Amino acid sequence: MAKVVFSTWRGEEIDNRGKSPEEWVESEFRLPENYDEETRSRAFVGWDGVAIFDENIDAVRLAMEYAAQYQKYSEACGRCTPGRWGGRILYDLLDKIGRGEGAFEDIEHLREVSQTMMLTSKCEIGRTVPKPILDLMDNYKEQFDTCIAEGIKSAEYDEECKYIAKITAPCMDMCPSHVDIPAYIEGVRDMVLTDSLKATRQSMPLAHTCGRVCPHPCEDACRRANLDEPVSIMELKRLGADYETDHGIGFLHPVEPKAPRNDGKKVAIIGAGPAGLTAAYYLGLEGIAVDIYEELPVLGGEVAVGVPQYRMPIEKYNKDIELVTSLPTVNVYTNHRVDAQRLKELDAEYDAVLLAFGTRLSKKIRAQNERADMEGYWGAIQMLDKVNLWNKYAIGSPASNELKDKVVVCVGGGFTSMDVVRCCIREGAKKVIMLYRRDEKTIIRNTTYEEYHEAVEEGVEFIFHSAVERIVDENNKLKKLIVNRYELQPDPDGGRPKLVKIEGADFEIECDWLIPAVSQSADLSILPEEWNLELTSWNTLLTNGRDYMTSRPGLFAAGDCEYGPMTIVNAVGQARRAASVISRYIYDGKVSLTDEEIMEDHLNKLKVYNKNEKISGWMPGIARNVSKKLEADERRSNNLEVNIGFTGEQAIAEAERCMRCYYISMVAV
Amino acid sequence: MSSVDMNENIVKVTIDGVELQVTKGKTILQAARENGIYIPTMCYLSKLEPISSCRMCMVEVEGVDGVILSCQEKAVDGAVIKTNTPTIERERQKIVKLYDVNHPLECGVCDKSGECELQNRTLEYGIDRQEFAAREQHRPMRNWGFISYDPSLCIMCERCVRVCNEIVGDEALQISTGGYKSTIVNVKSDDDCAECGECMAVCPVGALVSTDFKYSANAWELRAIPASCAHCSAHCQLNYEVKHESIDNPVEKIYRVTNDFEFSSLCGAGRFGYDFENRASRRDEAAFSRAVEAFERAENIRFSSMISNEEALLLCKIAEKTGANLVCDEAKAYQDFMRAYSRASGRRLYSGDLKRVAKSQSIVVLGTRIYDDAPMVKYAISTAVKREKAQVAYLHPLEDGRIRNIVTSFVKYEVGSEEGVAALLAATLIDRRRAPEKLLKLIDDLDIGYLSAESNVSEEELEEIKSMLWKRRRFTLIAGADLYAHPGAENIAKYLAVIERYSDFDLIIVPPASNTLGVSLICELCEMKEGYTVGYNAPGDFVLSALGDGDLDMPALNQQEGTFTTLEKRVVPTNAALGYEGYELADIAAALGIEMENVVDLTPYLPEERGFRRVEFDSLENGFGIDGSDRRGYELEDALFDSQELPLEPDELESFDGTIIYRCDEKRQFNPFTAKCSQLSAEEAVLKGSAQFAAAAKLEDGERVSFEVDGIHYERVFSIDTSMKGTVALNPTFDIGLSSFAVSSYRFSKAQIKKVGSDDE
Repeated sequence: MAKVVFSTWRGEEIDNRGKSPEEWVESEFRLPENYDEETRSRAFVGWDGVAIFDENIDAVRLAMEYAAQYQKYSEACGRCTPGRWGGRILYDLLDKIGRGEGAFEDIEHLREVSQTMMLTSKCEIGRTVPKPILDLMDNYKEQFDTCIAEGIKSAEYDEECKYIAKITAPCMDMCPSHVDIPAYIEGVRDMVLTDSLKATRQSMPLAHTCGRVCPHPCEDACRRANLDEPVSIMELKRLGADYETDHGIGFLHPVEPKAPRNDGKKVAIIGAGPAGLTAAYYLGLEGIAVDIYEELPVLGGEVAVGVPQYRMPIEKYNKDIELVTSLPTVNVYTNHRVDAQRLKELDAEYDAVLLAFGTRLSKKIRAQNERADMEGYWGAIQMLDKVNLWNKYAIGSPASNELKDKVVVCVGGGFTSMDVVRCCIREGAKKVIMLYRRDEKTIIRNTTYEEYHEAVEEGVEFIFHSAVERIVDENNKLKKLIVNRYELQPDPDGGRPKLVKIEGADFEIECDWLIPAVSQSADLSILPEEWNLELTSWNTLLTNGRDYMTSRPGLFAAGDCEYGPMTIVNAVGQARRAASVISRYIYDGKVSLTDEEIMEDHLNKLKVYNKNEKISGWMPGIARNVSKKLEADERRSNNLEVNIGFTGEQAIAEAERCMRCYYISMVAV
Repeated sequence: MSSVDMNENIVKVTIDGVELQVTKGKTILQAARENGIYIPTMCYLSKLEPISSCRMCMVEVEGVDGVILSCQEKAVDGAVIKTNTPTIERERQKIVKLYDVNHPLECGVCDKSGECELQNRTLEYGIDRQEFAAREQHRPMRNWGFISYDPSLCIMCERCVRVCNEIVGDEALQISTGGYKSTIVNVKSDDDCAECGECMAVCPVGALVSTDFKYSANAWELRAIPASCAHCSAHCQLNYEVKHESIDNPVEKIYRVTNDFEFSSLCGAGRFGYDFENRASRRDEAAFSRAVEAFERAENIRFSSMISNEEALLLCKIAEKTGANLVCDEAKAYQDFMRAYSRASGRRLYSGDLKRVAKSQSIVVLGTRIYDDAPMVKYAISTAVKREKAQVAYLHPLEDGRIRNIVTSFVKYEVGSEEGVAALLAATLIDRRRAPEKLLKLIDDLDIGYLSAESNVSEEELEEIKSMLWKRRRFTLIAGADLYAHPGAENIAKYLAVIERYSDFDLIIVPPASNTLGVSLICELCEMKEGYTVGYNAPGDFVLSALGDGDLDMPALNQQEGTFTTLEKRVVPTNAALGYEGYELADIAAALGIEMENVVDLTPYLPEERGFRRVEFDSLENGFGIDGSDRRGYELEDALFDSQELPLEPDELESFDGTIIYRCDEKRQFNPFTAKCSQLSAEEAVLKGSAQFAAAAKLEDGERVSFEVDGIHYERVFSIDTSMKGTVALNPTFDIGLSSFAVSSYRFSKAQIKKVGSDDE
């Protein structure tokens, strides 16, 4: 809800002008009434309408500034006729009216050119820019007419006013890393994969990784779904990275990395996983000195030792890692465990410290007789460490020593448990069972359709609506599990259905291994007690979720240790923001956000994607392309990458499905 | 294919009330065009993936809101499409008006006038007034050598950028985004840009024009002569455009070359190397009778493969009559190579063609500096890389930085080790399930360790090539001119043949010069014998030359009609762009008692037993179907033989140490005829090597050097090319006249390089 003078946002028609305060109607959208703590917004202009907060707004100037923002955007584009010329004409005419030199026929020309842009522009940005301008011309007509009829400048034409704009898109907004998705897809469509990769790396250094194993929340906000099916956004990302690797052309950066600053300022990062690497990359691009401390002998965090080779080949991930470590100001220290004492030293030595150590403690499944020291009880994180360290780095010993011809039960339902069971198949287990409390639909929602079906194809047996009640051992060696069955009972009050145990339906599973993979938690022992750091209710580090500073000044946290076990892309997004804040903090000791970041947060609150919007100007019924996967027989007993990726033809066809839903939003303050 | 399958591949759409059956996957625009329904476009080009910048091709579809782009959107079953509603017509008119904003009104002096697509659309949409305006901007002209760019005329359709990227693979042109200020930029220095002129060919307006042609003629004054390019074995479709030379000289000259850019492409040699005609204009009767006498007494008739199929056949007839040997140095080695290939493959012609290269997902290139040797093959590889994400292994002793963007693995082998490399490739690529036992035994007995060590191709590199096949389809192996005169050529040919025969690989054995494939199919070629030699565009005791420097003048290939045999295994026609007053080979044949009116009367008599067809010259088309199908001439008939000879274990590999010279005409140069052309003649032939080569040969950049290769003495400037590596230098032959046609040795040679003027000379 927002208090507005006037709003046409998303079809609402609110006009409180001239009404007494008690008659005012509020907007039902979370419009940015206040730009930041100190500043009130005067107006918000966007792809779907305008919202005015200040009764004295100069609508002519506002419209002109919005057209100017489009001009600025199109300087990075201008790749279709209506966009290139239309945008310029729009601006020139509005400026002409604003400076008091307009004629009434200019209004007609504005409408004509708007019509062409709205109907024929290549991107949504060109199609939507005229919308709020027309809204202003219709609803603040008298201001336009006055300028023209009297030949005078608009009220604020010569005033110093600030207008802050941001380009977004529904997919970009939904992506926790705010990757410029339409741009990297355009690179695929243009067959200039170097451009595609550079676009990705503006906000996502791990292009190989997030082109392979990202759960792609963006695709839930893809407008193409309003027409037929969402664009296969995630898989198009890996094309640029594969091109760079295949052609050995050297690392491409979104901007030329700045020279090392050598000004004595330095940042420590604890953990070389996706969050740590991302922060290091964006600090490194700025020329800021970064030291990463990693406990494991290898870099990459859970993507290296958690995500299996068949999903994320280490040769590819190593390219993402090398991209970061190739920057001259980035140093890494492996086999370097940071404990509370060490953290105190680093905190004293560095200008800022970023905690990015993830969540590497396996949670218990809360069964009776559950003991970590029981033979046959194996935490998911430790189990995956062993599998991956051997398969990817030949460190340790093969997990098949433990798993070959054995019966394994995994309790889980998320990505980690899927990795566990599919690795067990590959390590030669005789039987692999996944126990899950809820149903098939939920497991698919929590992971992906592909992941679940691939596991089934490989021979994993899923038992739904079940949970381990008791673990039975013999001389501290796991023997069997007593399992309860549950059923879903609808809530008579219409709430979420409840899981209710079915009495007398218990059953037993004899097995060699029980691998709990229900969740992970952060290892808080590394935090000095005397710092009294504030924690969330899930025992992760507390920040405000915007600047990622903990309750201790100069100590930041990003990724799973801040959010709890979540996705790679989430860790990347947080770390990039944290790096940006740190890059200023180490100089001025202040926690600040850029206008771009403030707008990003406003838009995220407002929600960019509108699933009820009707799409026009695109042919429906063009099916989403599906990449080839290895057959179950071809992949079950090895670690070959399962997803072969798009063929070139598929990639171009898929890229052509992207509707380039860029939008401009602008706040006047 | 069952009828059910057929139906699955067909969708039904209705366009402007006409019901159409369309192959699934085609766009609405393709469906319309193939059925003769007009939809206007500005940026669309059939040979490219849709660009979709102009938005002119919009159509309306029943039940779908707004207008949709027909160039990009696929024809969906059941769609009812309208191409010209009032809304669409109004918006198209507005788009043309937007294009016309600040477009200079200088049609009177613009080169494009008369063939300008913007001019056509402006007239088509009856635009006689302009209500849109934007501030004018200053946009200076750019000169990119052969090509001039005027940004104020540019409509940013992006065709040029696209062909440079998607077809040529040069990536020289890019869009400098700037909204209203957007322009096209050439990011490669003049030297790196191939200057093929594809960009100006596809430019719909006068923004990209030939620097040479600029202001020299109007489009409507020129007469287009459909022809085929003579310079290399691609024999691309082109038109020589002619007009009288000047107001006081009625003699015609070629002003420029154009082509059917919608479907085909050219390289810089074809586009800019067109005026190689022989200007000798008189009938020198005395020289003619000496020529006839020379033929009568000749032991050898030596010729080059810059020749039409018909003239090659005519030479056969003359040789038959006089008992002379037919010698074509360029084609002999190729003929032997192809015959060895046939004995092992059991077929007359290799399986690949450029369309299939462009659709390949993995490509292996062996024994050719492809960028210079065969531009059209390189274009096709580039297209495969761009569209199919093809993996490309490039095996050659010289790395080539110019194709870094299209090659995925450079495999550098030792000079001379081609036979070993071919054997290693066979061991890597052959599908063991298909190969006969004997071949498997041969391969299993190969001493891979030795071959790998001697050729310097590691087993890891072979593994990498093997991995290119993993889960991919459509493979092509391209073999080139380094192989044909190799001492182990016969064996190499057989290794290539067994790869093609027992794997999914297509094979292209790129003919090394112009009509080498035609000559090798038509003529029984011999080695030179002692004795009197008549040279036809080749050295000899009596020389008939189209360069104008021989004992009797002959017409050049742009002054003749006839056919060429292309690397695509097609027989394509060419026509005389310019007249020729002197004697022709047919006159000599007639004097020798071979009755015939025109040389093209021989077209139907090209040997059927070698795959030629009995068709009249005049019935040959030289263009493309509306769907881009190749309708030029006809395709040679392949033949299958019951023969499956196997290769042998490679001989001990010869090693080449020290400084080595590689025979190579770069970029736009192919032969003395390209060298003669006015726009290309300024290019100096230099010996080009890396800094490493310079150090090894103790040479400095810019020094004059002399050396001898193939019995020919060269004196040239040595130039260091910093993009090159290793101890192999490039030596062109385009500047040595007809002798270049008599050089056919293995392309690498050891040579003693001396400094000119130094003491040791």
